[in-house]
Amino acid sequence: MNYLAEPRSFAEVAQYLLNLWRREGTLQFLRLSLTLGREKSVAGEMWKYGVVIGLLSSAFVAFMLPTEGGAAFNTSSDGINWGLAISVYVFLALTSSGLTFIASLSMVFGFREYYPIAKRCIWLAIITLGAGFTVLALELGHPFRMLWAMPAGMQYLSPMFWMGVFYMIDLVLLLIKFDRLWHDDWHSPLSQALSIASFVAVVLASGMLGLVFGSMVMRPMWYGSFTAVYFILTAALSGAAVIVLATYLAYGFRHENMPEPLRSMASGKALPKVFATLTGIALFSVVTRLWTGLWSNLDGLEGFHALVGSPAFHIEVWAGLLLPFVLMVAPTLQRQARWQITAGVLVLLGMFIDRYQFLVTGQAVPMFKGAWVSGLAEYVPSLTEWMMAVLGFAIVFACYGLGEKLFDLASNPRHQVRGSAELTPAAQH
Amino acid sequence: MAKWGMVIDLEKCTGCQACTAACAMENNRLPGENWQDVVFFTEGEYPSVQVNWFPRPCMHCENASCVKVCPTRATYKTEDGFVLVDWDRCIGCKYCMIACPYGVRFYIDEKPLIGPDMRNVFRGKDGRAWNPPWKMPDALEDRRHGIGIQPRGVVSKCTFCYHRVSKAPRDAPDLSEHDPKTREYTPACVVACQPTARYFGDLDNPASEVSKMIANKNGVRLLDHLGNKPQVYYLTGVGGAVPSNRAIRKT
Repeated sequence: MNYLAEPRSFAEVAQYLLNLWRREGTLQFLRLSLTLGREKSVAGEMWKYGVVIGLLSSAFVAFMLPTEGGAAFNTSSDGINWGLAISVYVFLALTSSGLTFIASLSMVFGFREYYPIAKRCIWLAIITLGAGFTVLALELGHPFRMLWAMPAGMQYLSPMFWMGVFYMIDLVLLLIKFDRLWHDDWHSPLSQALSIASFVAVVLASGMLGLVFGSMVMRPMWYGSFTAVYFILTAALSGAAVIVLATYLAYGFRHENMPEPLRSMASGKALPKVFATLTGIALFSVVTRLWTGLWSNLDGLEGFHALVGSPAFHIEVWAGLLLPFVLMVAPTLQRQARWQITAGVLVLLGMFIDRYQFLVTGQAVPMFKGAWVSGLAEYVPSLTEWMMAVLGFAIVFACYGLGEKLFDLASNPRHQVRGSAELTPAAQH
Repeated sequence: MAKWGMVIDLEKCTGCQACTAACAMENNRLPGENWQDVVFFTEGEYPSVQVNWFPRPCMHCENASCVKVCPTRATYKTEDGFVLVDWDRCIGCKYCMIACPYGVRFYIDEKPLIGPDMRNVFRGKDGRAWNPPWKMPDALEDRRHGIGIQPRGVVSKCTFCYHRVSKAPRDAPDLSEHDPKTREYTPACVVACQPTARYFGDLDNPASEVSKMIANKNGVRLLDHLGNKPQVYYLTGVGGAVPSNRAIRKT
């Protein structure tokens, strides 16, 4: 299947698959489809494990949801209304936004040293957003009704309405942009306009997702315009962490396996510089938010005290933000593959904890409920909720492997550019 | 057009929860899914501790945050002041539950609030989430106004007994269980209130009993600082208490 790399259209893919099936027979065709080729490859492994884990988790969810319905979740009208599934959606949607921000560094703002990761960022942004939407749809009572009820209702006062609108625009623009890159169109006026429109859409989408929470004056832990800024900044961080990890993953965690412009970038200062800056900003945001939360006597902020008492929060702050920040500013460590990977893993773990705890502690102070709710609401995700999370990540994994196999994700503009990652047509392949 | 609202006299409320039971029977609520709840809480610390209670229906706010956040307009406000849910438009996103400062909304698809799970005892059919033997007549059910037994995957809440009140005589300033002409149009919780702690009437009509009571007895609204402007007022007098802290911690 090596010669399928970078097909020019989906028709070509379909034709290739049809021929392969005819030539190899059904069983061999299925085996090859699961391994993405006769030879073992990182992309094939990602696809294989992604598909297997995705199928297992979706089988579990597909059994639980029709039989138990929402009762398979540990969310409750009396306590936590939005649980793990929503936090996974927020995590994936914001990661997608962050990846678009990172792609915009080269494609909108002209930092050419970031070209080698731009196409990979766009692909990852598409699949993380798709996975996020999938998890969200599984959590909703009537996901398909949303397709007509939201446009028909046009509730322009609802932050959730605008979040949906902007993320749909974002997804469509990402798909068109990827199609342009697929056809090596990096610099036409249409491609540049798409890059700018995509950047604007993703700022609005992630900011609006922040305002879904930030507009809630009755939930003081979320309330305020800072929440939108917080979401945008931390989105960029999780996007940066994912692109670092995904790039290393595709090349077996070694600089030596990477094509030249990418290797220069990964072993240069450009990547740690961005990573350290974003980690520092996120750390500052988390600490200032905690400070105001603990300092204030406002009713409804009691969740901040619970946050400080939670071990996961300390893992987020110390291991998920402070340690990666130190690793990425230390001159002797910041350019080494192993420390970049460590920082990426820690930041992603920290950001996942952050999304979950932001969501859950924000609802921990219950509204006026029956006599049986006396303190902060408690919540532990159910197995079904965890399986939905696993499904979301499996979709990302599988689609990333597929993209790595099908598309030349490390491709660059086919002309000379200046900067630390100087490119020539010969260096691209 | 009337603007219907409720007054609850906390000095008269005995915390008997007849309102809760009447609402559950009238509207076919699942156990624990108390559209009309009575919140019990304690104030102070031992030995100076006091048990209090607080009846809490949906406030049918003038500036209802649940209406504004609903991405499909499934939750809407009528001209005569009801905040209702259209079960045919609700997508079950639960954003209204997040945005309601009073915690009056319930999602049907979750673990039972009180066991056993009646949805398994009386299995739903004809699009209903469950099918109890004592349910209201089919003719009264109205999914567009959130009345009756809800389908799966939607949010429900107190309707101010819209199916009764919406049929009331046009110019009635008050709906009272003591007036034979209006009794059948009065919300079930008001009818069932034995100490007559509940009053229901037109808040826009200065001649209504509810308007007079709010003016003369300093009616207050719950969490008024949030600006939702509830259409439920509480009379506290000297003996009643409006909880100041929504966490309602037990000491």
